[in-house]
Amino acid sequence: MRVLTAVATVALLAALAGSSTAPYLAAQERPLVIALGAEPRSLLAQHIVDWTTNVQQLNIYDRLYYWDGMPPRIRPSLAAELPQTPDDLTWIIKLRPNVRFSNGDPFTAEAVKSTIEWLLDPRNQSHYRPRFSFVESVEATDPLTVRIKTREPAPILRYYLVDFAVHNPGYIRQVGNDAANRNPVGAGPYKFVRWDRDERLVLEANPTYWNRPPAVRRVEFRFIPDFSARLAALLAGEADIVKDVPPVAVDQVNRSGHAEVRSVASSRINYLALVNFRPGPLQDRRVRQAMNYAVNVDEIIASLFKGRATRIPGALSSINEDVNPNLKPYPYNPERAVQLIREAGFDPARLEFTIDSPSGRYPLDKEAAEAIAAYLGRIGIRARVQVNEWGTHLDKIINRRTGEMFYLGWGPALEAQGTIAELFRPERTYSGFGTPALSQEINKAIPIVDRQKRRAAWYRIQVMLYTEAPWVFLWQQHDLYGVNKRVTWAPHPAEKIFVHDAAWVR
Amino acid sequence: MLQFVARRLIQAAVVVALALSAVFALQFLAGDPVKLFLPTDTTPKQIEEFRERLGLNDPWLVQYARFMRGALRGDFGRSLRQNEPALGLVLERFPATLSLSGVAMLVALAVAIPVGVLSAARRNSWFDHLGIGATVVGQAVPGFWLGLMLIYVFAVWLRWLPTSGRGTWLHYVMPSITLAAFVAARFARLTRSMMLDVLGQDYIRTARAKGLAPRRVLYRHAFKNASLPIVTLLALQLGQLLGGAVITETIFAWPGVGRLLVQALLNRDFPVVLVGVFLTAVLYSLLNLTADLAYAWLNPRIRYE
Repeated sequence: MRVLTAVATVALLAALAGSSTAPYLAAQERPLVIALGAEPRSLLAQHIVDWTTNVQQLNIYDRLYYWDGMPPRIRPSLAAELPQTPDDLTWIIKLRPNVRFSNGDPFTAEAVKSTIEWLLDPRNQSHYRPRFSFVESVEATDPLTVRIKTREPAPILRYYLVDFAVHNPGYIRQVGNDAANRNPVGAGPYKFVRWDRDERLVLEANPTYWNRPPAVRRVEFRFIPDFSARLAALLAGEADIVKDVPPVAVDQVNRSGHAEVRSVASSRINYLALVNFRPGPLQDRRVRQAMNYAVNVDEIIASLFKGRATRIPGALSSINEDVNPNLKPYPYNPERAVQLIREAGFDPARLEFTIDSPSGRYPLDKEAAEAIAAYLGRIGIRARVQVNEWGTHLDKIINRRTGEMFYLGWGPALEAQGTIAELFRPERTYSGFGTPALSQEINKAIPIVDRQKRRAAWYRIQVMLYTEAPWVFLWQQHDLYGVNKRVTWAPHPAEKIFVHDAAWVR
Repeated sequence: MLQFVARRLIQAAVVVALALSAVFALQFLAGDPVKLFLPTDTTPKQIEEFRERLGLNDPWLVQYARFMRGALRGDFGRSLRQNEPALGLVLERFPATLSLSGVAMLVALAVAIPVGVLSAARRNSWFDHLGIGATVVGQAVPGFWLGLMLIYVFAVWLRWLPTSGRGTWLHYVMPSITLAAFVAARFARLTRSMMLDVLGQDYIRTARAKGLAPRRVLYRHAFKNASLPIVTLLALQLGQLLGGAVITETIFAWPGVGRLLVQALLNRDFPVVLVGVFLTAVLYSLLNLTADLAYAWLNPRIRYE
């Protein structure tokens, strides 16, 4: 018994020690609570590419430019106007005057220069370094003007400057990367208060913010890994914004009385890749086209997704700046599919394919893969779905060890290069597809600076892709957010949650 | 006695070193972590640079030596996913796991021991059947189901308790019950069977014949003798709980070690996994040693030479 008493005492003391983290109480009003699946991987800007990480940082750092409205257009935020390009290799960025970091330091051209130099320094292990490898030099020509010189024409820079967060260089030099990660200082609408690891990130309105003061004074990102628990937090009124409500739970949220589902057609696309890297029937274009005729995509959207997905005819979403509006989706025509397969010299009844699919990474991914397999089954093809844990799935795709087909999503993507060049160049494996002619066209399009000519080039490539049918083109996913009805906030097609846009209903 | 403790500590160090080596070897089977945590637009050349910088291109023997040298100094490297010292990431989560395990163990023992003792004392009574029935249910119900049911009833429906997270004592209620349900069942069953064993012994009959109060016989004479295996189970269960209650921590968004380690495993963040293995191995060894020492204290016939 004495042992038990001792254990009990120790446990009690431990519990008391643990609960010394007192509940977080708002001074004037409760914080707006956003429930996410994970904590940020870093709070240093320009460090790690990761949705969860970036969506939280955004509120601390703001950005030079951002995507605004529908269809999305680039607008300046910390910059004063859109970038000027006096020649193909020079970019001039004018900054907004009288902007300060949350610790009072001025926001200047020197800060932008230092941030780019920081991310290019290999010691900082920034994920952004590859994206800026074409930068030759950055200069602060005056306190509010930055001049970037590139080694080659790099029109993509225009898009890389969107959502570009800026460090406070003096602060980072003073405290170092690790400390700045744990206690970040930015020029955004909110300033950092506290980060309880794996628990919550607490922010409060930044009194020095350049724009109107945020209507929501306090924000709390809470990290709840299990989806059912996030939904429960929303239904119990503990969370105000929750992303990725499954379509089956939409009614439950809407019936709850105090929360509702708000949705947006995301710029993220889902596709079924038809791998052409290995010998086999899928190396024949007719067989790949047949797969597009064989799957009734509209029916999957209507029945499985309850209409909560938007069909795409090609590799880009309907809100992409460069989408070719002349493409029409392949119609559902199983007879045509069988005919094409026979023309290619194959018998559908003898074809066997494996479809690799993740589970829970994208809305209804596994279920969609199974529905596709069933449609292929209707024309006699034996298709088997292999469900993978996400890490394994990615690993298989990167190392080209998938079955003949795999399911994947890509985005957010609001211009062509980030999708087509990233996916369809030969050393990239995420599309499962590449041909020399295609990569030649892509390499020609990348450096075109003139916007009309550039768009025309991407249009041509989209027609090529449509004909080549490297994927079964599926849909743009709809992002479903569960939102407290007392909060005014609309979801964003680039998956951003910029709390400055939100307010409490009075 | 001192010699015994010293020998056991050396043994523990060997166990820890072996556990670390085994997991270190296993990471080579798990595939390349670099591509998993870099963004998808990284070119193969840049991936190679990252590998070089992280020392992943060195022969495994060099990597192993470097890892062991670092581990001896308490330096387990930086998390691949978060680029922070791995040891700190794990240690930061320890208080949360420690306090939840402690409370859960307390709840479990407070329920299980009386149920076990009374079930044995009133064998085949309705109390016995009910108690044993409850323990079967406690062991059979999956933790994630129990956790979600508790959330829906007490947090969403009745709104008595917070759905998840940590902060006040109210946050402890549901996760500790979820954890305790399974542990309590094991303790109750073990207590009952040990008690039945002891209650049939001659010295219990003698104690009763002397006219001692039944409560005193039950708790002083019978339970103390029945408690040795319970101490062993206690050490093992506590070790398991401290290693992190993965499912409970995930469902209740409890910022503990288990949740971190599963994340790290799924993302192949090996430095963090190795720290987790290290701390779990150390804890297990120490808890077992404590259990052995408690034996000697509870039963003076056992002496370690």
